Amino acid sequence: MTFPVQSAILIRDLHYAYPPPLHGSAPVSVLRGVNLTIGRGEFVAVLGRVGAGKSTLCMALNGLAPHATGGIFRGDVTILGRNTKQHAIADLASSVGLVFQDPEMQLTQMRVEDEIAFGPENLAVPSEEIEARVTWALDAVGLASYRDRSPLLLSGGEKQRVAIAAMLAMRPQVLALDEPTANLDPAGKAAVFNLLARLARERQITIVLATQELERVARYVRRVVVLHEGVIALDDTPAAVFAQAPLLREWGIGVPQLAELAGLLAQQTDGSYHFLRMGEAYAQLRTEQRAMTGSRETAGGRPVSSPDNQLLAPRPPKSTSPAQLALEQVSFNYPDGTPALRDVSLAVAAGEFVALLGANGSGKTTLAKHLNGLLKPTHGCVRVNGRDTRSARVAELARQVGYVFQNPDHQIFAATVEDEIAFGPRLQSLSPADVTECVDWALALFSLGAYRELPPALLGWGQRRQVAMAAVLATRPQVLVLDEPTGGLDARSRDDLMATVTAFNRSGGTVILITHNMRLVAEYASRAVVMSGGRVAFDGAPRDLFERRDILARAKLAVPSVVRLGQRLALFGLEAGVLSCAEFAAAWQRLMVGRESGLLRTNAASAGAVSETPATLGPRGSTDGR
Amino acid sequence: MGAEFDVYVRRNTWLYVLDPRVKLALVVEAIFFTFLWPSAWAALAVAAACLLLLWLAQVPAGRIAAFLRGIVPLLVMVLVLTALFAGGPGPVLVSIGPLHVTTAGVMQGVLLAARLLAMGLAFFFWLSTTDQAAMVRGFVALRMPYTWGLTLALALRYLPILAGLFEQVREAQQARGLDLGQGQFAQRLAAYRPVLIALLISALRNSERLGWALEARALGAHGVRRSVYRPLRLRHVDLWALALLGVLLMAGLALRVF
Repeated sequence: MTFPVQSAILIRDLHYAYPPPLHGSAPVSVLRGVNLTIGRGEFVAVLGRVGAGKSTLCMALNGLAPHATGGIFRGDVTILGRNTKQHAIADLASSVGLVFQDPEMQLTQMRVEDEIAFGPENLAVPSEEIEARVTWALDAVGLASYRDRSPLLLSGGEKQRVAIAAMLAMRPQVLALDEPTANLDPAGKAAVFNLLARLARERQITIVLATQELERVARYVRRVVVLHEGVIALDDTPAAVFAQAPLLREWGIGVPQLAELAGLLAQQTDGSYHFLRMGEAYAQLRTEQRAMTGSRETAGGRPVSSPDNQLLAPRPPKSTSPAQLALEQVSFNYPDGTPALRDVSLAVAAGEFVALLGANGSGKTTLAKHLNGLLKPTHGCVRVNGRDTRSARVAELARQVGYVFQNPDHQIFAATVEDEIAFGPRLQSLSPADVTECVDWALALFSLGAYRELPPALLGWGQRRQVAMAAVLATRPQVLVLDEPTGGLDARSRDDLMATVTAFNRSGGTVILITHNMRLVAEYASRAVVMSGGRVAFDGAPRDLFERRDILARAKLAVPSVVRLGQRLALFGLEAGVLSCAEFAAAWQRLMVGRESGLLRTNAASAGAVSETPATLGPRGSTDGR
Repeated sequence: MGAEFDVYVRRNTWLYVLDPRVKLALVVEAIFFTFLWPSAWAALAVAAACLLLLWLAQVPAGRIAAFLRGIVPLLVMVLVLTALFAGGPGPVLVSIGPLHVTTAGVMQGVLLAARLLAMGLAFFFWLSTTDQAAMVRGFVALRMPYTWGLTLALALRYLPILAGLFEQVREAQQARGLDLGQGQFAQRLAAYRPVLIALLISALRNSERLGWALEARALGAHGVRRSVYRPLRLRHVDLWALALLGVLLMAGLALRVF
């Protein structure tokens, strides 16, 4: 693929290493010869594993690396003809805007309009023009009516849009964003991606976006750059990059779900499948299906669902065993009287894998904090293994219910990884030998042995997250509550984490997973509980949830691509209720085999019927691209 | 996470749109008046004037009541302690061991409490009717260096965030089995060690990012004298208010002297 000649960003042989984290250790090499040219108005996604150097690359664009970070910097980064080595960060700010992951740490003012004006003020823009820029920037991000609001009281997605507007007001021609959607809910993510695509298209702003949002990259972005082992390993259109699925999987980056499905179908059927977006996938599979079946649409446009073609997947265990976690008509009001939970009743048996879903502010986290006594119900009662949490201290409940918070930095405090993990077991007054055993087990679980003596606070973000989780698992809880554990994780880290959680679940542990990632729900959970307005809006199997459009819309939840594709093709004979790529591929193969044998039977009975539709009986894949 | 550290309540009355410097002058003058006469009545009159201003500014009565509830224990403490320890001439009302509560002591206590109330209400008026950006703009317009003003603004901005962070860290450590509610004071203080260390690490990490974010917003651009989005200009209403304050000051001084 060729890219625009008029370059906004020119990176030549960029090497960068962070200063050594500990005295006497070696510098941490991150970039090892990056070469990249990006034209004006391009929207480029930078993919890579956690710690691959995506953030560093973004920070090199506005000079933060090396001016603020120190370290060893070799090579050249030229933005609109200005070499970042020769200009201070503040001087580059009028050319390059940089938006960070955490909106809290980049909004500095008490009012949205003051926030937007702050950058132009620093650039000595005259007052009248600042006024015009504030209006323009807020308009550009779709927040024109928010001028007078406090940034503190906005939603995560709105805060990020304010942060983007604050950069736009300095009129940069390049906007770099470092995982700006990692902490947002689906509505916030969609708003930010829509905005970025529009800025590139309509205002010719060059956008460089470091992200793990593969599904949205496939949908919005026109060029993908993959950072692997310190260099640009792939650089092409999303379709071309994601066609390299085996390579991307090997590198731990993964591919969007539909690209994964295409790879799987190709592998299983020896056919040729190329699709990345829903429309393409539907068109190709439908064409192929028509080719197989000819004009005999047996299902008549209704989902086919007979006993022999219903997929066999784990149903939520409607066990009769006593509930391990029981909420009985629980209501909870915040100190200011705002109700957060209203009359919630829920029973979870030991060994269940429950996904707790809902829009931001629906009460998911409030509910989860009742399970280990961090919050006590205003009305009703919560029982953990039969014990009323109102009469139990959090420290006592923590022995049964482990809670992994979203941000690992909220718990990391010890001088070494070993001490960090040993903290929980020691609080349980275990013998030193038992504590060591717990620590060794947890270190092995996450392959953290090499970091045993290092300060956890100095590890990379992905490893800090592993340490935080290892520290909770080391207390050997019966129940594991995970609050949005995969935000900002790459595919490999996510799969590893979920493998650990699944192993915990298989060994009899109960899992409560708070998430916005519906793919995790489809592939791992046996039961989905949807919160809406502080009440339980749905409680049942994920498969049943995906059929409930009313609930999904109310809770602002999106069905995973493969599930949606399955639902559309179920109208034409695919087995109903596929949840994962593997299930889809198996169902597709059965459909095709079934149709082939059905067709053969029909052929034997009546050769004339075939001759009426000769064009539809070519080899599979012959109608690709129709 | 609420903005409970922010006393400011948005309203659209003329007292709100007054220049922050004029409102600061009003606070200074109110404090000056409380000390102009050594009389509790004068201080109470200033307090009443401040309450009148709060009412005129349409600050919600609930907020004012909450403020008064908060300050009353302090006033009682000042009154009691001064009455007990100030001594002074005059008839002894009560004797508790070596302590003699005299009429003069009680009067002194009443005076100090009344002054404290008046000053408290004056500042409460200022904080309730002036948003933090306007405050900082006011200080900078009064020749305070911009970096001081920005530091103040950031401190105000991050207080609620820090409070929220403390709460999250405390919950995260409790969820690992840390018991914060048991034992003697010293033991409980020691139990907070993991919370405080994690809070410190997080705060340091955040402050580094905040520094980067400020630089990315061109703070400290070389050779640039920063401009002001909405420069403060005294309007007619401000000048009238200043004139009124001047007249009141003169009248007060004249009353006191003659």
